[in-house]
Amino acid sequence: MNHFIKYLISILVITLGLLYLSDFIYTQIYINAKPRNKLQYILNTKNENFDIVFIGSSRVANHIDTKLFDSLAQKKTINLGAEGAGLSDNLLQLKLLINNNYVSNVFLQIDSNFESISPSNIAISEAMPFIKNTIIKNHLRKYFENFEKLEYIPFYRYAINDPKIGFRELFFSSINKNPGTNPSVGFSPKFGNNIPLIENSLPSTIRERNIILEEIIEICKKNQISLTLFVSPYCSKTKTEDYIEKLTSKVPNLINLSEGYDDKLFFNCGHLNNQGAKIFTNDLYNKTKNSIKINARKHNTVYN
Amino acid sequence: MLFNSIDFAIFLPIIFILYWFVTNKNLKSQNLLIVIASYIFYGWWDWRFLSLILFSTIIDYLIGISLSKQESQTKRKMLLWTSILVNLGFLGFFKYYNFFLDNFITAFSFFGTPINAQGLNIILPVGISFYTFQTLSYTIDVYKRKLEPTKDFIVFSAFVSFFPQLVAGPIERATNLLPQFYKKRKFDNSKAIDGLHLILWGLFKKIVIADSCATYVNEIFSKYESMNSISLALGAVYFAFQIYCDFSGYSDIAIGTSKLFGIDLMKNFNFPYFSRDIAEFWRKWHISLSTWFRDYLYIPLGGSHGGIGNKIRNVFIIFIVSGFWHGANWTFIIWGALNALYFLPLFLTNNNRNNLNIVAQNRYLPSIKEFLQMSFTFGLTVFAWIFFRADSVSIAFKYIKNLLSFNFQKGIQYLSIERYAPELLILIFFFVILEWYSREKEHPFFGKWVYLKISLTILALITLGVYSDVTDFIYFQF
Repeated sequence: MNHFIKYLISILVITLGLLYLSDFIYTQIYINAKPRNKLQYILNTKNENFDIVFIGSSRVANHIDTKLFDSLAQKKTINLGAEGAGLSDNLLQLKLLINNNYVSNVFLQIDSNFESISPSNIAISEAMPFIKNTIIKNHLRKYFENFEKLEYIPFYRYAINDPKIGFRELFFSSINKNPGTNPSVGFSPKFGNNIPLIENSLPSTIRERNIILEEIIEICKKNQISLTLFVSPYCSKTKTEDYIEKLTSKVPNLINLSEGYDDKLFFNCGHLNNQGAKIFTNDLYNKTKNSIKINARKHNTVYN
Repeated sequence: MLFNSIDFAIFLPIIFILYWFVTNKNLKSQNLLIVIASYIFYGWWDWRFLSLILFSTIIDYLIGISLSKQESQTKRKMLLWTSILVNLGFLGFFKYYNFFLDNFITAFSFFGTPINAQGLNIILPVGISFYTFQTLSYTIDVYKRKLEPTKDFIVFSAFVSFFPQLVAGPIERATNLLPQFYKKRKFDNSKAIDGLHLILWGLFKKIVIADSCATYVNEIFSKYESMNSISLALGAVYFAFQIYCDFSGYSDIAIGTSKLFGIDLMKNFNFPYFSRDIAEFWRKWHISLSTWFRDYLYIPLGGSHGGIGNKIRNVFIIFIVSGFWHGANWTFIIWGALNALYFLPLFLTNNNRNNLNIVAQNRYLPSIKEFLQMSFTFGLTVFAWIFFRADSVSIAFKYIKNLLSFNFQKGIQYLSIERYAPELLILIFFFVILEWYSREKEHPFFGKWVYLKISLTILALITLGVYSDVTDFIYFQF
């Protein structure tokens, strides 16, 4: 029995050692690698001036042609829209961005994401390697009952998020493989038109308030950042369109561009294609050009 | 309780300590501990299932004793049939009731007599097919006087419910397992270490290979209509590895766990994908079920004796019943029938026992002939697995039709799981090399550098394992 117990202990020690070693290697690679997603890009960006920052979900990433907006406004523009991102993820992006950089204008996409106050799985996965970052830690802690497991059990955070930050992503990060979308530009256009478009449904009811949106508004106010809220287009097959009406009554100064786009301009019902994105970017610029602030400035608020 | 769960990782050491340090002085209490542990293990899914296994245990225990006392052949036969009907009755009700009902309704509608009947919302108790067959083998062996029935209810309960193999086998024979519960178990270091190695290897197969394959397989099979021929072929190959690593991984963990308790279970898989013909494949795949059907169905039907018609009938019966055992769906029946078709030419030409030795024994590489034979056999099994995996027969045929359309448009497809379809081949390639290297053993942890091999396996488990989507073992549903 003694021999077996010694053998078992040696295997457990090896396992524990490998867990710590893997955790350390993964974390170091993700921290030091060339950014492959927008969160990594924000964390690696310091003392930059951003005149215009777009945040939201894929309905920002696919819809805002950053270079076009940049050339129209003649201002440094970045698109931080991320697939699956909700308002909570946008809040985290904003906190991280203004902590080390200068931002003048934030354009935030609002639509059915008004219904959610939780972070998305994709955003959580992408944030996991940086869990020791105070802003990230404090932001995510409130969403997890057992946050300590993520923080202190070696490799646990990587294991449970393996599709996004597992070995495959680690390998690409370690060889500095370029991502599909350049995070420093951020526009990822869709091409083609999946006719017939499949119906899209918006929620039939609307929540009373969204505390995350309120926090974003508050942060922008505190830091004298001009905040523009807008609704991106939906195709004509979208159901319960009165949701947008309800939303405009809840959210003051919401720029509603949800209608008026030909179905041929859509990749699918919720996402414009490249041609549609260019038209929409142009329209959004024309609607907002008079309210864009001129100079980016250093922010006073430090988030932790 | 899943083998690949935290619950089991806590449960196993507790039972191990109680077994070897608290109850080790008394065989009865050791056996009682096994029964209690097994009932906790099984009840973890749903405590209501316990009543079924307890009822089955009591019935077969009593019938076993009655058979030993009864001299009248008619009464003995009645007792045997009581056991068969009770056990198969449970199995039939829980597993096949809705299947038969649906098919009766379809058949009657076809002949112009529509019937209105509602299916029942039945939960299939985990592993019912496994322990039903295990208890049946006991009663049949006692009936045939091959085995003395046990009078010790605790020992019999331990035999029926022994937790490592309760829910997915190996389906043990009473002649092998029962006597082990009578003997005092002495802790054997090398056996226990071997058990640890098997558990580790089983976890690797399940968590690294099977679960990685599952992600691709689910994606490809659910979107087969938009997949090109390359992706569809890969989907079928991945499923072949998923089901092998899932099931043989479970068997390895079961056999390894048993070894920790000083109990030997039968081998269930013997590197089946290195088979040179389909007969060899069936000697190496799910051995405990194949031999069960051979001993309790095929031989009583006459086996390979009699005319050619009888031989063909018996082969089809055993393969189709084997398919049907897996589940209440025509897909499994066709899978069984297809394997019968593969097997028949070898059987009828007396070539079904050509390859009894280990392939390329004492050689590093197979000969070209062996390689081609293995590839051909693997191709046949992969083709049959399409029926096994598909949700319905019509989907299986559509899948095959699309596969054979030789549509190579879109080339290498990027799946919505954000992976290219052929990516997993790299992992599978390394796995096949490892399997080939250890094909004369039970696992790769032998010879020199054992610690290094173990460390690399643990590293693979940590970094390549799928933990975001913990899945049940496939065979639990059977």
